[in-house]
Amino acid sequence: MGIKFERVDFKYQGIDNKGYLALSDIVLNINPTGEFITLIGETGSGKSTLVQHMNALLTPTGGTVTIFGVKINQEIKKKKKVKLNPIRKQVGLVFQFPEYQLFEETVLKDVMFGPKNYGISHNEAIKKAKEAIDIVGLDDSYLERSPFNLSGGEKKRVSIAGILAMEPDILILDEPTSGLDPLGKESLLGVFNEIHQRTNKTIIIITHDMNTVYNYAKRVLVMREGTLVYDGSPQALFSRSNIDNWNLDVPDILTLTKALETRLNITIHPAPKNKEQLLNRLKEVLT
Amino acid sequence: MAIIDMKNVSFQYTANQKALSNINLTIQRGEWVSILGHNGSGKSTLSKLLIGLLKPSEGEIMVDNTLLNAETVYDVRRKIGIVFQNPDNQFVGVTVRDDIAFGLENLQVERKSMVDKIDFYAKKVGMYDFLDKEPSALSGGQKQRVAIAGILAMSTDIIIFDEATAMLDPKGRKMMLDYMKQLNQDGVTIITITHDMKEAVLSDRIIILKQGKIIKDDLSEAVLRDKHTLEQSNLQLLLPLDILFELEQLQLSNERIKEILWELSLNA
Repeated sequence: MGIKFERVDFKYQGIDNKGYLALSDIVLNINPTGEFITLIGETGSGKSTLVQHMNALLTPTGGTVTIFGVKINQEIKKKKKVKLNPIRKQVGLVFQFPEYQLFEETVLKDVMFGPKNYGISHNEAIKKAKEAIDIVGLDDSYLERSPFNLSGGEKKRVSIAGILAMEPDILILDEPTSGLDPLGKESLLGVFNEIHQRTNKTIIIITHDMNTVYNYAKRVLVMREGTLVYDGSPQALFSRSNIDNWNLDVPDILTLTKALETRLNITIHPAPKNKEQLLNRLKEVLT
Repeated sequence: MAIIDMKNVSFQYTANQKALSNINLTIQRGEWVSILGHNGSGKSTLSKLLIGLLKPSEGEIMVDNTLLNAETVYDVRRKIGIVFQNPDNQFVGVTVRDDIAFGLENLQVERKSMVDKIDFYAKKVGMYDFLDKEPSALSGGQKQRVAIAGILAMSTDIIIFDEATAMLDPKGRKMMLDYMKQLNQDGVTIITITHDMKEAVLSDRIIILKQGKIIKDDLSEAVLRDKHTLEQSNLQLLLPLDILFELEQLQLSNERIKEILWELSLNA
């Protein structure tokens, strides 16, 4: 099941009615469990448009997206009875700057809003909200605080809890760490990683940070001008020579490894996955 | 010669909490200074004080020998330009042309000269072909370039980049860093507010704020290796220096590797 893209196009109308093709001929399969995917590519390459197809916020102008068995295409516009609400609950999408969307008086009420909207009882919604707030790393003292007096990182956590409380099968986050300081960023990525490890839920993160890609992702999707140009492992991606053509950076650990290989005239193989592996290799060379 | 001089400046948003307390900071003309600190450390409050969007609760701010106050704020803004984090929050015009014109109109530049300036600076940032486009047709990096063109057109002596690269893709980020280098070479005083050590490494001097206070103010090369201060400010060592310190702990470092890793960290 999961999410399946079959030759998907999406054309934005545009005010001049010429429109432009934001997605072109996308073929993609996402498993309902076990995936940790990062989606990367230049600004304007179609990343956000792509994920908005994953929970039927957008309908393809060509081709079909199948989300947990529900087909989304131009046909459904003719039939009125396709219910999209269950899909939005199954595939939770956290927008960029979700903190701008907080609106309730207290953190608890804000996080409860989603589950209540999907017909869950008041008491059950409180329970789910409290669990979600705990998962994102905020303690009980936050429950009755106003979301507006929190720091940027805390607000992000509250808005992510709001999606988690709906218990989606797949969690999608659009640049969840932008604007956070390095510690706040690592800590939030740690939360996603833990959710993934503990529940085996599929997680998809849009990012510009190649360190995030290299350190966390099992699979990377690269978008370029509305097409999917790469679908594979981060290790294979960064060993390719066309990274430059796609305007991607190289993770810090690989930049440093390459520089050290040249300067010390050594080979470091296979490429280190993290700092510890690089250190171990250097220990061998230096002793 | 000091272009910015903050004396005992404090600021509080609410009665019981100081966002900045007792800031003493002098920045020389032509200097490139990075301001670092955790989320909520007061960095953005500092930049808002410098451009007169906020007024100090205590203390005074001199910009190019002018005391910043309600009477002088418009003169001071001719000297300081600012590029913000979110490209979407700073686009004021309906087209690129309008956006670059906005600052010049406020300075009451005469029309002929304004048209020339717009063309010149749009070309300079590579946005000349986009002059009649609307913001929705631009990428984040392109919007930031328009913001820079608007500031360049006003020929300010100081430019503050308030996390201006945080939302950009790698290509957009690299381009912004290249502008900062170029502007600084041309004598513009640069203040970058950032979490990114690879951006901070480009500056002459680094200031670290923590809970509204300056806890470090030193040459960049000294601050970059100050592991303790960086860590207590939610910041990270540059990777080559992190590796160097680990090797030193293991007593595996030597002069050559030290030199190489240090050089690599400065060219991060």
